[in-house]
Amino acid sequence: MDNFDAALASETSRRRFLRRTALGTAGLAAAPALAQQLVDLKLPGGNAERPMTSAFPGKGSMILQRIHPPLLETPMDVFDKSVFTPNDQFFVRWHWADIPTSIDVESFRLKVFGHVNRPLSISLAQLLRLPRVEMAAVNQCSGNSRGLFQPRVAGAQWGNGAMGNAKWLGVRLRDVLDLAGVKAGAVQVRFGALDQPVVTGAPDFEKALDIDHARDGEVMIAFGMNGEQLPLLNGFPCRLIVPGWYSTYWVKMLNAIEVLPGPDDQYWMAKAYKIPATPGANVAPGAKDFPTVPINRMIPRSWMTSLPDGQAIAYEASIPVGGIAMGGDCGVAKVDVSSDGGRTWYRTTLGADEGKYSFRRWDGRVPLRRGPNPIMVRCWNANGVAQPMKPIWNPGGFMRGNIETTTIIAA
Amino acid sequence: MKTPSPGIMAAGLIGLTGIILISIGAPSSRKASAPISETSEPAPPVSVSARGFSLTSTSVDLPVDDASYPDGPHADVINANCTSCHSASMALTQPALSAAQWKATVTKMREVYKAPVAEKDVDAIVAYLTAMPHQKAAPATGKAQDPDPKVAPDVSGGTG
Repeated sequence: MDNFDAALASETSRRRFLRRTALGTAGLAAAPALAQQLVDLKLPGGNAERPMTSAFPGKGSMILQRIHPPLLETPMDVFDKSVFTPNDQFFVRWHWADIPTSIDVESFRLKVFGHVNRPLSISLAQLLRLPRVEMAAVNQCSGNSRGLFQPRVAGAQWGNGAMGNAKWLGVRLRDVLDLAGVKAGAVQVRFGALDQPVVTGAPDFEKALDIDHARDGEVMIAFGMNGEQLPLLNGFPCRLIVPGWYSTYWVKMLNAIEVLPGPDDQYWMAKAYKIPATPGANVAPGAKDFPTVPINRMIPRSWMTSLPDGQAIAYEASIPVGGIAMGGDCGVAKVDVSSDGGRTWYRTTLGADEGKYSFRRWDGRVPLRRGPNPIMVRCWNANGVAQPMKPIWNPGGFMRGNIETTTIIAA
Repeated sequence: MKTPSPGIMAAGLIGLTGIILISIGAPSSRKASAPISETSEPAPPVSVSARGFSLTSTSVDLPVDDASYPDGPHADVINANCTSCHSASMALTQPALSAAQWKATVTKMREVYKAPVAEKDVDAIVAYLTAMPHQKAAPATGKAQDPDPKVAPDVSGGTG
């Protein structure tokens, strides 16, 4: 056994790393004692502990996945308090480390160009004067829950908290495109942002939507989030909102809208964020050479949030349980809950309907047995799609949506 | 356009006052005026407003990650090559991956994301990554499909 093994075999090095990370950020934030607390995301196979951090601007207590560029996950108990995720605990995900840290609202311009009759350079003061819309919508990372995939896959090892729900205030993308005058023959609209690659020649993060999707009246340019301006780390001063679609399209710090006469063939559409063109984006582990498509519409999901996984409680014949559900690309129709591994299902009561793209609260009651109780939640969306029992697998770790289980131990 | 009711106008006025007060801050949060005019007070944050919503210029400091990869063979190589684009935690939090998967990842960083990694350093970086403690963990067992990640190609391109 060499020195490396001797030093690392007992995991002490990883713990040292976590401590050093926490100390490093505490020193920079000059905050009194950054939480040293670790959270266990319970990813299969381990390596699942992450530090909590409050060292990021505009952010409260978050699960630290990565400092640079930031990957911050929302703790699950946040979702138990409201269907709307507070701005200061909304998840954060950046691809490139060159993130502007200063935004001047007077000089910022949103440019609209390409296959249009009148290229525009829109100031924020102008944007604020356009007709407004407000919509509740879930913003979920394509790779949310990737760390739960089996076999495990490479990438950001998220638990379930790479998602959030907010009331987005802004303007219709359609209205902005109409001001510019989309020319006949437009095929897609590409969205660029202020963040930049840190190395020359690397692919700038840009995403595209089909022209009809971009003009559907739902896709928004949002400057308000739960009644406030966006935190810088969530895309201040404005970001794209693509209701019902994964967050990769919700371009933050949006400053460029380019109408294209053909499909976007650049890296982030042509190569990255691709899913198998199979039902449920599912392939057998090891499958090769399957056709792929860009990730697109979200699917129904639901979680129990009233108790954390592994919680021990005093035995009772039955307990109240509750949580959140999302329909994906449409509303939530119903949520059922089971405490016997899916043999018996109980109907739950849905909370206020905040719109079809929002989280929806559910509450129900399940019987308990002494010992471990696997509590499962299943959402059916308004299109009749139900969460499957069996997990999918794909090499990108995208689109997990199976029934999730929270185990409660009654003693 | 509909004329706002007196109630809405009053609420707007109260809201605007609130925003101004918040932007000014509590009296104790303001610095006492400098005795000598050598240091100029920072300009108040600039805002733009319309139709009851304001956007205020924002400036933040992001935490800097000074964590490095733990000691081990080739730690110097990975620390020299793989800390500027992303934190070491990105690699340290990965699940157990095969040497082929790690090599594919390092190759993707070089070829797709243009990481300035010399080709001669790739093998040392892969050696470090495959020797990280959690790379030796037993493969996950349980509910899902046959766990054989080494044969699974990543054609998704990442990321997310």
